[in-house]
Formats: sequence, C-alpha cells, structure tokens
Amino acid sequence: MIARLLAAVAALLLGGCAAFGTPPQTAALLAAPPTGLPARVERAEVPFFPQTRDHCGPAALATALADVKLPADPDRLADAVFLPSRGGSLQLEMLGGARRQGAVATRLPGELEALLREVAAGHAVVVLQNLGLSWLPRWHYAVLVGYDLGTREVILRSGTTQRETMPLRTFEFTWARGGRWAITALPPRELPATAREAEAQDAAVGFERAAPPAQAALAYEALLARWPGNLLAGIGLGNTRHAAGDVAGARAAFENVAERHDSAVAWINLARLRLDAGDRTGARIAAERAVKRADAAEPAWRDAARATLGATNER
Amino acid sequence: MNKARRIVSSILISSIVFSGMAQAAPTALISTEQAAAAMQAAPRSEAHARLQATLDREDLAAMLQARGVSADELRARVNALTDAEAQQMLQQIDQAPAGSSDVVGILFTIFIILLVTDILGLTKVFPFTRSVR
Repeated sequence: MIARLLAAVAALLLGGCAAFGTPPQTAALLAAPPTGLPARVERAEVPFFPQTRDHCGPAALATALADVKLPADPDRLADAVFLPSRGGSLQLEMLGGARRQGAVATRLPGELEALLREVAAGHAVVVLQNLGLSWLPRWHYAVLVGYDLGTREVILRSGTTQRETMPLRTFEFTWARGGRWAITALPPRELPATAREAEAQDAAVGFERAAPPAQAALAYEALLARWPGNLLAGIGLGNTRHAAGDVAGARAAFENVAERHDSAVAWINLARLRLDAGDRTGARIAAERAVKRADAAEPAWRDAARATLGATNER
Repeated sequence: MNKARRIVSSILISSIVFSGMAQAAPTALISTEQAAAAMQAAPRSEAHARLQATLDREDLAAMLQARGVSADELRARVNALTDAEAQQMLQQIDQAPAGSSDVVGILFTIFIILLVTDILGLTKVFPFTRSVR
C-alpha cells in the first residue's frame, strides 16, 4: 500500500511525464555499445577530496586538478570559485578557477558516450548534476571516474563519498536536468579525446586570459596539432609567443597563419612585429596585404590596417 | 551618488583606454579575443568593444563583492573570464545553477516533501504524523 502511494506521489512530483523508463542516451548505449569503448573502466587512482559544507564545486575541481598533478587545495579553490550569496559555485567560475591553476577547462559534448570515452581515455570528467527536480533543483558537482556497462553503473567521486556508484539511467536523468554540462581540466599540452573544435578553441582563448603566456602558447600548439586549419589558434600562438618574449617564434606563427588564411589580423600583427624588429620593407608588404584583405572581406579591421600602413611610412 | 560614480568612472576608464590606444595603436598587437569577437559578432569598433569590456568587468567585480566574495579575490576572478564570459556572467549571476548540494541535502528535501504529503493525507510514511483531515 505504502509502495503504491509512494509511486503515486513520485508520479505527481515528476509532473506525470514519462520519466520512469530508461532515458534515451542510456538506452542507446546499452542496446548497442559503441565500438572501441571498453565495457568497464574504473580510474581508482583518481584522488578524492571530501567536500566540506557547500563546497562541492571546489572539491570536484580539486579532484580533477590533482588527477593531472596540478596544484589543488580545496580551500584555496573555494576562494576562487565559491559564491557566498548563492551558496554554491557557478559553471563559468569553475572554468576560471581551473585556468588560474594552470589547467585548460574544456566543455565536452552533451552526450553520455563522450563522457564515457573521456574516462576511458584516462581523463577525470567534472559534471554538473541536478539531484533534485526541475522545479526543486539540487545542483551538485561530481567527478566521473569510471563506469560499468555490464552492471549499468557509473562511478563518481561525489560529495563526501569517495566511491559512489549510481545507475547509469539515474546519472543521465540528473545530468540532463543539469543541462548536460561536463568539462575536463587538463594541462595545456593535452586535449580531451572527445572535445569539438569550437569548444577546444574557446577553452584555449579563455586559458590565454588567465595563464602565463608560455603555457597558453602550448595550448594553442596542441590545438593546431589536432586542427591545423584553426585560424584563431594561429593568431593566439603568435600573440602568446610574443607575450612570452619569443619574438622570432611569434613572427613565424603570424607568417604561417597570414599566408594560410590571408587573415587581416594576422597581417596587421605581422606588420607590427616586423616594424618592431626594424624590418620596414617587410612591415610595409604585410601592412599592404592587411589593407587589401580588410577592404575586400574584413571591414572591421580597415582602420587598424591603415594605421599600421601609416606607421610603416613614418620616419 | 551611484550614478555620479558611474559617470566619473566611465570618463576615467575611457580616458585611460583611449590614451593607451593613442600611444599603442600602431605597435600593440590585436589580441586573440578581439580577433575572435570580430569573427563572430557584427563588427564593432575596436575602441568601443574595449571600453564595453572594461565597464562589464567593473560591474561584475562590484556584483561579486556585493555577493560576498572577498575584495582581494575580485580582480583575479573577473580576469580569469573572457569578455564574452564576463558579459554572460553579468546577466546570469543570480539565475545560473550554483552547484552546492550534498546527499544529506537531497535526503532532507525528500523527508520534507513526504512529511508535507503525509500531513496533507496523501501519504502515510511516518508513524508520527497525523493527517489534517
């Protein structure tokens, strides 16, 4: 009797939607396990930082950072990401907090399969879950460290539980209710296995803001190694090398990207660097290309290109 | 008061930004974020975009401070975000999910819900409750 009433109440609370079965991605994964995905992975070596008070964000971040041997002090991280008025940590600040510790924080695709692949590739995945209901949210950060398709479970470092096993379907429900948000926090040389180009690019540009330039240059190099045609990574590589004091390396980077993409920004920056180095003729050639390109296709840079060309003619 | 402060700070910031530009225009490199912004959005002038980003950051720092973040962390936290992220955060700071809960919290929530449904007479989970009807 009690069980029936409980079921009725649960149905009431869930708004009567058909949420009792198996959610779509779990069903697809179990029906046809993707090729190349191991049936069972557990990264037992991932460290654990039990959360204190409402600090599940800092604890989850510390777990991911310590896993890649970066500095991870939960109290220090709490200062960096915890927002007292909200009693929690916002997703954007989780990204910022990871960057400040020297990690590139990359958003992963919103697919369960991507998360499992990432774990199989040896990366800890920080996820946002809504453990409650859509109208009664209980936001929670945890770290995915393993899964078992046979027993249909995932393994998490979560809250004060070092090894929490959760049914795959429950995990998908709570993760989907949290907006399917998942990130990796990795050293700049390493890219997540499943990240898409756009997200990897955003991650590197964000990293440049908070990291030492030499480290940010490594992130752009990694990005270019996987996606050689990424224009912004080429520009970022030139800028970060320049900021790190590697003038020759910066020029080389801008030369590459300017030739490859005929980008106004790359021509402008190349001209300015050549001018700094006293190469007035080379600077003028680059500035002329910048003006031509800006007039033809990138009007936003018209003024900057002309100013640069003007500078190459000054005595 | 606040408005006056805002106006003064805008003037100060814009004078800083523009004086910096006047000196640095031909030699300073175009930043990666500026290049990214130009690729995505409708082109805005370089100076306007920079001014807007500076103002956004000032506002965000003030909002964080009002929400209990210690003063010596403000700068570093705001600076760890890109211009686009800072703007997004400015809009969502009080609505975006804030991960915090622990398992005790969720159990407590369920307890309260069942307690209420017990009292309403919809359920009878706990021996110590008596329905209002």
